[in-house]
This record gives sequence, structure tokens and C-alpha cells, in this order.
Amino acid sequence: MAGSVIVITSGKGGVGKTTTSANIGTALAHLGYKVVLIDTDIGLRNLDLLLGLENRIVYTIVDVVEERCKLKQALVKDKKNPNLCLLAAAQTRDKSALDAEQLKDICEKLKEDFDYVLVDCPAGIEQGFQNAVAGANEAIVVTTPEMSAIRDADRIIGLLESKEGVERYRLLVNRVRPKLIKANDMMGVDDVVEILSCDLIGVIPEDTNIITSTNKGEPVVNDEKSLAGMAYINVAKRITGEDVPLLDIDEPSTLLDKIKKFFAKKA
Amino acid sequence: MYDNEYFVVDMASCSSTGEIINSLSLALETLNHTGKKIVMKLNDSYLNQSQMLSIQSLITSYGCILDTVETINEDTAKIAENMNLFVQKPIEKRIDEKYEKENSSNFEPFTIKPEPKPELISLKDVNGLHFEADLDAMEQRQSQINIASDLTQAGISLSSDFETIEKQISNQYGMNEEISTTVETFPTVAPITETPEFATFNQVEEHKEFENAEKNSIGVYKKAYDENQIHDDQWEEVDFYETPTNDPVVSDTKNTTYINQTLRSGQILEADGNVVIIGDCHPGSEVRALGDITVWGVLSGIAHAGCKGNINAKVRALKMNAVQLRIGNCYSRRPDSTNIPYIIRSSIFTPEEARVVDGEIMLFKINQN
Repeated sequence: MAGSVIVITSGKGGVGKTTTSANIGTALAHLGYKVVLIDTDIGLRNLDLLLGLENRIVYTIVDVVEERCKLKQALVKDKKNPNLCLLAAAQTRDKSALDAEQLKDICEKLKEDFDYVLVDCPAGIEQGFQNAVAGANEAIVVTTPEMSAIRDADRIIGLLESKEGVERYRLLVNRVRPKLIKANDMMGVDDVVEILSCDLIGVIPEDTNIITSTNKGEPVVNDEKSLAGMAYINVAKRITGEDVPLLDIDEPSTLLDKIKKFFAKKA
Repeated sequence: MYDNEYFVVDMASCSSTGEIINSLSLALETLNHTGKKIVMKLNDSYLNQSQMLSIQSLITSYGCILDTVETINEDTAKIAENMNLFVQKPIEKRIDEKYEKENSSNFEPFTIKPEPKPELISLKDVNGLHFEADLDAMEQRQSQINIASDLTQAGISLSSDFETIEKQISNQYGMNEEISTTVETFPTVAPITETPEFATFNQVEEHKEFENAEKNSIGVYKKAYDENQIHDDQWEEVDFYETPTNDPVVSDTKNTTYINQTLRSGQILEADGNVVIIGDCHPGSEVRALGDITVWGVLSGIAHAGCKGNINAKVRALKMNAVQLRIGNCYSRRPDSTNIPYIIRSSIFTPEEARVVDGEIMLFKINQN
């Protein structure tokens, strides 16, 4: 059975594409699926850092394309989960080292052996984006509840619509801060979905654990207590077709709220 | 030299074919010369055969006959001869006193007197214009623009987009091989003078805001919109129908494009007729149409109706949140007071229509007069 190729893209940089890729990949692997992550951000690779696999990379995607190694040689297995593999980007080259056809070929080959091929897309809409999207049949558009990120996501969705092969695209709203939304200082998730008129695949709350986990090189989904980790697992479940309700990210903000909630539960 | 049968149009100062067409149609539009023989005074400008043919049929459409061409350009002269027209070399200088005295009784060369102020003038003023011989070319051009824009405003469209005319004519000749007696009117494309200052569009109730606003109806659109040209190859799958419209107001529209899709940031839709979009127009998107634009959804991008100068075009939307509205050569932007970064959806939309009133874009409720 051929797996599906999912590209994780956003247009704007810094909204959490790579974090999302690493976490969804890890979560899917935890769920028992065979997953391969492809980093297409050649020259600015980060995905290996987030997974803590930096020191294991021998061959990169550019080596595969230039036929210095076989595709299977370049796949780096995850430390903990044997279901998860990484095809790292080269750090020494730039985006022009690949073209869309080559990446499409790689995706086609990997599809045969893996259930999910996750492609981490670089920021922008140039060559790197065109490459990453080439082989994909599904897309996850990552955005944050900010106007600039939303505008870029809108552009990306427009480009995805015109791409052949991308059958479906869904929106992931990242770095949501319930407190700010409550105070009307931030756009709500509903607003974002309305503006982009796009299906929602998940909402990830802002979580300080992400920063520490990135520095440690361990995806946040491994931390069971983390809210963001739970949200990512839910997203992974939705990818597999499971119907999971949205996570309640509304944390009681003040002590008073906590007390109120406590009594509300009792009553 | 020429008797009353003739009408002499002096276009020696016109440098481009567009200007020739413009001033010619002005001359024929403003004064009644039905049945007269037209004498064109060209200086050195070169006209090829199809351009000459289109000028001829333009003149024919006003009920006149192109009789004589005065030119010093030999190529133009040859072409004119081939078309069985009289060709004459111009007499040295038309400002020559002797020449003027000799000929003053016979004809009046057509030129336009420059207006002291390039103010907007109504159609009545245009009719009352009198024409004199000696003038500065630059000022002449300026006043032409004003008259042209005014005529457009009054619903009369002038031709200056030469390429379109030429294409139209050559199509007619090529397809049917017979000379059509009517040339369809085309909207004016005014030459670039300056970037228009943006006036804000507003609700009708807030009309007071406009009282002090400067009138800037000279817009700039030189692009030729040949076909339903759509950028980025993004719209190949879009459903497209051609339906005839019998709307008399919109003279330059023949077909309507239906788009059953939301326009997203960066997408541009251009059409040579009316456009109906069933879906939203997101900020960053742009719609340009020769005719009306109707958005069955929220319009948040840029909409340019009547983009070749049709000032009678309209923009309609269920929810008007456009960053900029452009109609013909009128530009307007969203007022800063309603510059909300994202619209708050509600179940109640007030469908609005943008029209040009006195050179300014105003929003009306649908069916409001």
C-alpha cells in the first residue's frame, strides 16, 4: 500500500513548520506508522536538530540526488522510535541543488516503503517551496494568529490550489495564546479559519516546553504532560483519519479562575 | 483652397497615433460635420495601412468621408495613395499670415484652445469650446485629457487605445472582408500625467468628507487587456462562460466571466467583460474587468471595474471591505477609520454597490438611487 506524502508549509518563516514536522512525525511513529521526514530546507537545515539526530547524518538528500549513495543509506533512524526516519538536507548547498522532479522521484520511492512521508518545506514561495510541494498529495499549512502569517498562508493556499497532485490542504494554527484571545488582543482560531476559509487540522497552544525540547533535541510529543505535545498527538491522529475533538487549550489563567473552576466542577 | 464641403482637422502637433485618433474623434464628436469631406493634416507621423483603415472607418462612423491626407511622410503618403485618397504636401507653415489670410474665409483649422486652468469642465462647456490655430502643444494635450475624461464621465466614450481599435478593425477586415460602417466606441485611456491622489470612499451619509477632497479623476491604465488573461496559470480549470449582455450602460462589455472560487492573496483576475465571483476576494488579490465586478462574498482585495476608462462601471459585493476601489480612472482607498485588520463575520451583510458620482467613488446600498 502506497503511503501519502504530506508537505508542511507556511510561506512565512518562524511560525513553526519544522517543529510541527518533527512532532507530527514522532507522534505518527508512536502511533505505529512508518514515517519518514524529509528536510528540504537545504542550506538551513534544522529538522535534524529538533530530533537530536545531527551527529548521525552521513549522507544527505543532495547526495541521494547526485547519486553518491542509495536512498536507503541516507535515511537516518530515530534514536527511540525505529518507525521514524529522517532524510536530512545538506547544509553546504542551497535550494538550487534540487529540482522538483528529483524530489518527486524521491517521494515516489519512499511512498512504497513508508505510511507517511512528511516533507518539511522551507519558508518562501521560491524554488524551495516548489520543490517541496512537487511530490505532495496533501498539505498542512501552518500559521499563527497574526495578520502577516495569515496573509502568507492565504498566498500559499492559493498556490497549493493551483498545484496538481495536492488533493487536500488543512490548516494548523500554531502558537495560540488563549489568554490573549480572551482579552481580544489576539485573533481567535475561528477568525483565522474564517479568514482563510480552510479546513482546520489542529490548534497548538504556545508552550514554553517547545523551546526546551528544541534545545534538547527531543520532540515535545515525548513529554506527555505538555499541552502542545498533546495537541500534536491529536493532529497526528487526525491525519490518520481518526476523529478527535479539539483540545481544550483554555487554561484557567488566574488563581481566582482556578478557584472558580474548582468550585464549578464540584457543583 | 478647401471650400465648405471640406472639414480640415489639423493634427500636426499629434505625435502618436493614439493622439491622432483622440483628437480626431474629439473634433468629430464635438461639432456636427455629417457628410463633409475630411482633410487630415498630419505632419511627419507615420501611419501604417491598418491604422489608416481604422481612422477611415472611424471617420465613416461619424458620417463623414476621409478625402485628403496632408503629410510630409512619404510612407504615409504612399499608403494613402493606395487607399485612393488625395495626398497633398502641407503648405510650409500654417501660422504664416499670408496663408491664413488667403484661406481664412474657406476653412477653419481644427485645433483646441488650451484652457487657462486644467479644471474639470462639464459637457456643455465642451460643446461651447471654440477652436483657434496657434497654441502650445503641451497645453493642448492637457486640455484634451480633461475633455476626454469629462466626455467619458458623461457617458461618451472616446477612442485612443489604438491597438484595440486596430485589432478590431483588422479582425473585421480579415474575417468578413467588408468595411464595417460603425466602429464601436472604446473607452479612453488617458496618458500618464501623475499618480492620482487617493480619495477615500465612504458611505453616502458621510458625504461631507468629500467636499474638500480634491478631484482627481485622471487615472492611469495603459495596459491593454486583450483576453481573459489570468496570471500564474492558476485558473486553467475555472469555469468560463460567454454570455451576451444587453446592458446599454456598459458599452464595452460583451461577456461575463463567472468564477466559482475564492480569490486568494497574490491572485489576479483580469477579464474583458463583466466578472461575477462566487466566493470571497481576500486581501492581496486583485480583480480587473472592463465591465462590472460583482462579488458574491466579501471583497477585501483590490477591485478595478471599467479598467479601461468606463466610468459607468460598478463594483458590487455582499460585504465591501476593499483595500482599494477603482472605477474607470477614479481611485479610492478604504477609509482609515474602517481599516480593520480582519473582518468580523456576521450573519447580516449589507450588500453594497460602488458607483462614481461627480468623479468620486461612493458606496450605495443595492438598489439605492
